[in-house]
Amino acid sequence: MIFGLDALSLVLILICAILALYIKDLMGSVIVFGAYSFLMCVVWTCNAAVDVAFTEAAVGAGVGTVFLVSTIYNTRRVDTYRKNRVLKQLFMFLVVCVVGSILLKTITDLPHWGDAQAPANTHVSAYFLENSIADTHVPNVVTSVLADYRGFDTMFETCVVFVAFIAIFALLRTRKIPAKDLTPPHTPVDSLIIKVASHLMIPFMQLFALYVVAHGHYSPGGGFQGGVILGASLILLAISYDFERALEYLNEKKIILFVALGVLIYAGIGVICFFLGGNFLDYSVLSKILPATDTIMARSHAMLGVEVGVALTVMVSMYGIYLCLSSNGRMDKGI
Amino acid sequence: MEFIINYFNYIIVVIIMMIGLWGMLALSNLVKKLISMAIFQTGIILFYISMGAKIDSSIPIIKQAYDEHHHPIHQVINNADYANPLTQILMLTAIVVGVATLGLGLALTQKVYSEHKSLNEDEILESLS
Repeated sequence: MIFGLDALSLVLILICAILALYIKDLMGSVIVFGAYSFLMCVVWTCNAAVDVAFTEAAVGAGVGTVFLVSTIYNTRRVDTYRKNRVLKQLFMFLVVCVVGSILLKTITDLPHWGDAQAPANTHVSAYFLENSIADTHVPNVVTSVLADYRGFDTMFETCVVFVAFIAIFALLRTRKIPAKDLTPPHTPVDSLIIKVASHLMIPFMQLFALYVVAHGHYSPGGGFQGGVILGASLILLAISYDFERALEYLNEKKIILFVALGVLIYAGIGVICFFLGGNFLDYSVLSKILPATDTIMARSHAMLGVEVGVALTVMVSMYGIYLCLSSNGRMDKGI
Repeated sequence: MEFIINYFNYIIVVIIMMIGLWGMLALSNLVKKLISMAIFQTGIILFYISMGAKIDSSIPIIKQAYDEHHHPIHQVINNADYANPLTQILMLTAIVVGVATLGLGLALTQKVYSEHKSLNEDEILESLS
């Protein structure tokens, strides 16, 4: 809730957004977009959304940039552009101005920024804040809403990540092409410094990611953030060494297995609740099978199980998407 | 000044969304179209997060006191002291799903490039006809 920093970052964000679309070199454009994501983290933190800032830092600025770079690596770096589009661009600018002015006109009907009595802040979210501790013993309300109160939502979001991964795999994965047909735009650099540095970093990244998953009940973090950091550590391994080294740890069969296993863990916990006489994803009935837990702690523990499922799916899908995109589906070598 | 503080975030939301929309409509490069799509998406996320912000509030992690048996001591929680968690979780999942769909868009882009050897919309349309 710091207005000055919020406003300053938003102005910088506008500059970054315009620059990202203006630069002709696509690599530059992508890097400016990464900076845009980092500034967005600052804005989320100013608006007291720490979990969202964490996710944006891991996803938007980290993995998203890597995906874009790998596509540029496999396609063309320079934005070939033609003069005859200037008229079209001007016309589109007019269209956008009209739409924007209509939207700006409606802004004054919205509740003020930071108004605690706004409709969005008074009904169901007030219930979550006031009852999270009593219902689940989880102080981080974002986690308890994510994994418990709105469990269905998160389950299907995990399914969307799963489906997106399967779609990318189905689209890009091809049989191996003979080596003479491979024409990468530039040969990868084989640097000892990068190898040694990332070799030292990867274990700590993974340890931190496990901490983020496990400590999501008490601090910002959880399955999505931890999963993305785990995926990023594997991507770092694949970038700094080569695909063979990374696939040694997690090969294609395991990728397919784990991405489905994560969704299965989530849905499985729901189905177990079903068989114990509760509703789907009603974790309190799990106290019948978990040793030494009451109905409240059962919800807290089940949330951890669900987060592990989410982390598994997100980790493996980020890693798999990177492998597919950077090798153009051949899964032999990338950036 | 009052007006600017009350509505500044919403004005920026509209501008960011319009930059993204313009990019999607007017630019010819497919990767830039996808970047514009991501920019549009962050505009919507900013709208939700600005909705959930409260003046003089803390992050939505409840400050809880415990007794010596690690049981939480009952205390009254005031809604206005913590930021809205609901809008935050909606956007948290949206960001992760957003990057997965961005990956799908990039996979399609690579497929298009391997077919037409170009990322330019006009050149692709020419080679299609």
